[in-house]
Amino acid sequence: MNKIVQWIDERISLEAARKFAKKKEVPVFYGTVWYYLGGVALFLFIIQIITGILLTFYYQPGVNTAYESVKFIVSKVEYGWLIRETHSWSANLFIFFIFLHMFTVFFAKAYRKPREMTWMTGMLLLLVALGFGFSGYLLPWNELSFFATRVGTEIAGALPVVGDFLLKFLRAGDEVSGATLTRFYGIHVAVLPLIAITLLVIHLLLVQFQGMSVPPKLEKNPALRRGAIPFFPNFVLRDLTVWLIVFNVVALLALLFPWELGLKADPLAPAPAGIRPEWYFMFMFQTLKQIPAHFLFMEGELFGILVFLVGGIIWFLVPFLDKHAGDPDAVSSKRWTRIGIIVLAFIIVMTIWGYLV
Amino acid sequence: MKTRIVLLGIFCLSLGYGDVVRKDACYTCHQVVDEDRDDDAKIMTHIDQDIHLQVGLSCADCHGGDPTAFDDPDAAMWDNDDFLGAIERGDQPEVCGKCHSDPQFMRQYTASVRTDEVQQYWTSQHGKLLQQGDEHVAVCTSCHGVHGILKKDDPRSPVYATHVPETCNRCHGDADTMAGYGIPTDQYQQYKTSVHGKALLENNDIGAPACNDCHGNHGAMPPNVVTIADICGTCHVNNRQLFVSSHLNYDMLNVGAKQCIECHGNHGIQPPSEELLHAGTKTFVCQSCHDLHGEKAAVLATQMDSVIDSLKRNYDQARALISTAEQKGMEVSDLYEFLDEAHRSLMQTRTSIHSFNIQTVRETAGPGMKASTNALEGARRSLQEYDRRRWSLFFMTLAASFLVVILILKIRNM
Amino acid sequence: MGTDSGTSLPSASRRKFIDYLLGGGILAWLGTILYPLYRYLTPPKVANVSVNQVEAGLVKDFPLNTAKIVRFGRKPVIVIRKKTGEFTALTATCTHLDCTVQYKSDAEIIWCACHNGKYDLNGNNISGPPPKPLTRMVAKVQKDKVIVMRGEEA
Repeated sequence: MNKIVQWIDERISLEAARKFAKKKEVPVFYGTVWYYLGGVALFLFIIQIITGILLTFYYQPGVNTAYESVKFIVSKVEYGWLIRETHSWSANLFIFFIFLHMFTVFFAKAYRKPREMTWMTGMLLLLVALGFGFSGYLLPWNELSFFATRVGTEIAGALPVVGDFLLKFLRAGDEVSGATLTRFYGIHVAVLPLIAITLLVIHLLLVQFQGMSVPPKLEKNPALRRGAIPFFPNFVLRDLTVWLIVFNVVALLALLFPWELGLKADPLAPAPAGIRPEWYFMFMFQTLKQIPAHFLFMEGELFGILVFLVGGIIWFLVPFLDKHAGDPDAVSSKRWTRIGIIVLAFIIVMTIWGYLV
Repeated sequence: MKTRIVLLGIFCLSLGYGDVVRKDACYTCHQVVDEDRDDDAKIMTHIDQDIHLQVGLSCADCHGGDPTAFDDPDAAMWDNDDFLGAIERGDQPEVCGKCHSDPQFMRQYTASVRTDEVQQYWTSQHGKLLQQGDEHVAVCTSCHGVHGILKKDDPRSPVYATHVPETCNRCHGDADTMAGYGIPTDQYQQYKTSVHGKALLENNDIGAPACNDCHGNHGAMPPNVVTIADICGTCHVNNRQLFVSSHLNYDMLNVGAKQCIECHGNHGIQPPSEELLHAGTKTFVCQSCHDLHGEKAAVLATQMDSVIDSLKRNYDQARALISTAEQKGMEVSDLYEFLDEAHRSLMQTRTSIHSFNIQTVRETAGPGMKASTNALEGARRSLQEYDRRRWSLFFMTLAASFLVVILILKIRNM
Repeated sequence: MGTDSGTSLPSASRRKFIDYLLGGGILAWLGTILYPLYRYLTPPKVANVSVNQVEAGLVKDFPLNTAKIVRFGRKPVIVIRKKTGEFTALTATCTHLDCTVQYKSDAEIIWCACHNGKYDLNGNNISGPPPKPLTRMVAKVQKDKVIVMRGEEA
């Protein structure tokens, strides 16, 4: 082992990397546990890449083969069920941890100068993750996913100006069909991974170069800080331990709570009862359902979509709008925290409501 | 009376010039409800749906008279030599037969229409009694209705498949009407609870037999001893084939026993169950003719029963195990191929007992036993796989837990 | 965190011991991960046959005027070779009470033994209780094999 390290060291000096790694420290305080969330999301993304690649070995996109090949994977291929269920579970947890990561970052005001770019790449990564979820949901070509996609693309089609184009672009035609399936497949396994990896590299490099952010409160009051540990190897080892636990939990979830494949999609059949989007779209879906058919001078649905659009853009630009984020006593800073709480509460309430109805 | 008729005549005249009214004096005048003639209301209520009227025939085509005599009821009816008025029951078959037995005439309405109804009718029990002067029996209108006759395949028709039992029951279920004929009146009550009645009346399976499918319609006649198996065999082909070549059929015909009916009953026929073969119990069907103990019949019944029983048990077990595996989330849809085959074989085996030959029964059950064993093994394999999955995850968790403990130790000792 | 040495073992050898355990643990864990992976990548015994197309058998196994029941997913399908040598495929589930139909070569009809239902070779119900025709499938000959597919509308 040592010899190999030496061999490499003689050719490219590892000293610089080692120095950098030693220099980077992780502050220890009440919020250290937040630092694991992004790492867990990263790890789940790695699981997605691996299990995703494994699934492509057997999956065949196409109206006549998609459902059948997924069925084949879970029934005929040994441990195929584990790969598929892990991919589904890890996908859901991935998005869950991204949300968690985002809100902790938001409330810790970690987006403030100089980390605006980290926040924005993170937000884009969230969008990409939602895109992964939306496109991947259709791929088994079962009844629920088929109709959920129909509804989902319809919502995109309600957008002003670009709606028609977007609907046709997503569906590859007027209806959700085999062409939609292959299109979603291409987006899911090629387009989104490329974008995601690019964004991820930028996001991670920024984190590495800028180090860990601490909340403004801690900056002001160093007494709250309980020291620091080196990133490598101390924090990395802790990270790995958490990842290991997460991995095992995912595998157990895959075993104990498999995602049902259901019935094959039949475009001519009437939509079955209980059509639902994936849970992470639920709050939007539920909100759109509650808006009256006409609101002000436009259609209710359109209004809802526009609100989400504008809200999303504001959320994306928060580092520039929250000008006194570094000062924990600033009124505007507190106001943004309150907005964050309202947004979080809204999402939680709407999601729960959506599942109760 | 006289003035009324004149008034009516004027009224008819005035209507005759209207655009919307048929150019048919009978129709036009009888439409006017007159308190002295309350029959008219009954006659005219459904007249418009009558198939005869719809193809352009007139009342006069059955009742005679002159439908063009708008202004003169006497000329239209009483003074007209062809006028029949209300048709006597006894004359009915011939009146209807005037057209319905004439292929040349009927062909203008339907190329492939049958014209033997009246001919058949005279061979029926109804027809024979009518010929003897009994006017209580069913004639054409008893089943088809009178003014407002519908095509036989019109779902509103009283002779449409699902309405036939009720239609026959109107007379056959009425004790007063049937008094003196010496036949029971509970056929419909029995039929309603039978497997055929439930299929036809509750599930609307018009493929299921109504009265006429066994008794005939125009030539209605109870099946006699020799033809019962043929009647049932119209649909239950395999059962018939096995039965008529069995020794039991030979013996039954020798003693004048009523083939299928002896074991299964007739109007109240129930879905057969294995209980019929349970020698030594009340339900044992053979004992109605055979002595019980030590007889060949009891031995054979027990043997046949045990073949069916073991196949059924195998099939049930396989099905239960498959559904257990399914509930545990295993993918077992392939096994339904075997299960379906076993089920098919079970049905065939139950049919095969009509051969009254244990060898035939055993041979028929063979493929089913094999198929259910295959299904059973498949389900077991799938349940083993289920356990294997848990074990492999258990080992993974074990290794991971160990690793986590070591990692924590390592971190502590940094 | 730092080092704590509350035990009698000298810290260095203790660390070494933990390193060994760590190496062993990683190997054991990797084993439980790589084994399923290896099994996953091993080609399964059953080839991936989709249920949109099923091989009914070799042409030579179909003498003229015979038929065979094949499985199409969960459903049985009757594949008939007519006297003329053409192939026809229809769903084999009787439309009356779901029995499986069979081919009667003497009458050249499809027949259901349960209640004597009859269909012609186009699947039309021609006599007995069946209320509807059988659904037509597509039968094609590819080289020496008979292939059955779903009809055009599906």
